[in-house]
Amino acid sequence: MVTPLPELGRFAEPALLILVSLSDGPKHGYAIMADVEQGTGRPMGPGTLYAALARLEERGFIEALPPVDRRRPYRLTALGATTVAEQLRELSAFAELGLRRLGQAPR
Amino acid sequence: MIALLLRLYPARWRTRYGDEFAALLAERPLGPFDVADVLLGALDAHLHLRGLGSYSEHQRGFPMSLRLGGIAAVIGGALWFGGLMWSMLDPADQDFGAVLAAFGAAALVVGLAGLSAFQARRHPVLVWAAFALPAVGGALATLGLFMLAVVGDQPVAGVYGWALLIIGVLGTIAGSLVFAVATYRTAALPRSGAVILGVSAVISLIGFVAASSQGGTGSSEPVFLAAFGAFAIGWIVLGLQAIRLDRPVMATGAGAA
Repeated sequence: MVTPLPELGRFAEPALLILVSLSDGPKHGYAIMADVEQGTGRPMGPGTLYAALARLEERGFIEALPPVDRRRPYRLTALGATTVAEQLRELSAFAELGLRRLGQAPR
Repeated sequence: MIALLLRLYPARWRTRYGDEFAALLAERPLGPFDVADVLLGALDAHLHLRGLGSYSEHQRGFPMSLRLGGIAAVIGGALWFGGLMWSMLDPADQDFGAVLAAFGAAALVVGLAGLSAFQARRHPVLVWAAFALPAVGGALATLGLFMLAVVGDQPVAGVYGWALLIIGVLGTIAGSLVFAVATYRTAALPRSGAVILGVSAVISLIGFVAASSQGGTGSSEPVFLAAFGAFAIGWIVLGLQAIRLDRPVMATGAGAA
């Protein structure tokens, strides 16, 4: 079972949000922030974004592309794609378990 | 401001991320939330790059969030109200109440920063004013408390400690009113919370003036109680709404830290 994101501590949640944001293609920092905020309704600050980006890059989950007008896009690596898929499956399985116990069907 | 914020990061970090990070900060107006988040990010970068690179150490990080702002708002509202009421109802031990209120005011400033992420993008001036009023007020109130503790009810350079304390309280209330207006106009958080905070801040200001006109006699205590109670409830409601909005997506065994 691949679960490396918890090792990112307080940045595990922003890291997952970033990986999901990059799942449909490369994005630069501002586009990631806007995407996360639109998807979750919650703000992601610039300091949090780059703390998580640095960790994700360090572990090889994402890689930087050449900058365009000072904005540098990032994309998922194969390891990052595997990791986020595994993480989401675990979350989904856990959510289904909870819903079953509540006697409610998953949407 | 961007250059100043960048300087807070380690040189090695700036070499790698500095240019793109500066471009990101320039994309939209920075509010208190963003600045607080960058400060925490800079602290994290220093810890991270100074050999604190083992995975367990990463838990030192503490990202800014609506949740943090909400918790600070709830605690700040309760402490602020509790402290002022303690001072009013127990004149023999006013110092303890004043210290509680000062901590409450500081927590409200943190809460305001934490809850201001969306508002600052559309109304940066309004949000910075909302942040500055209680921040400056809190500093003045702390100075006033210090003067009262050291020299009592005697003026220093023609200024009384209690006067600074009152200005501090008024700054906290006025800043909260401005923040409620920005929040209502942006609809970043539920407007009901902004309305409660705004109305309660107005009631508090009116109550404060009404009670002051009675010379702070015993008969004014119910006015203060109602006004400050409403104000604290306003912050607590807004804080609870923010906490509810900011439910963790990973609060499971699968990854929450």
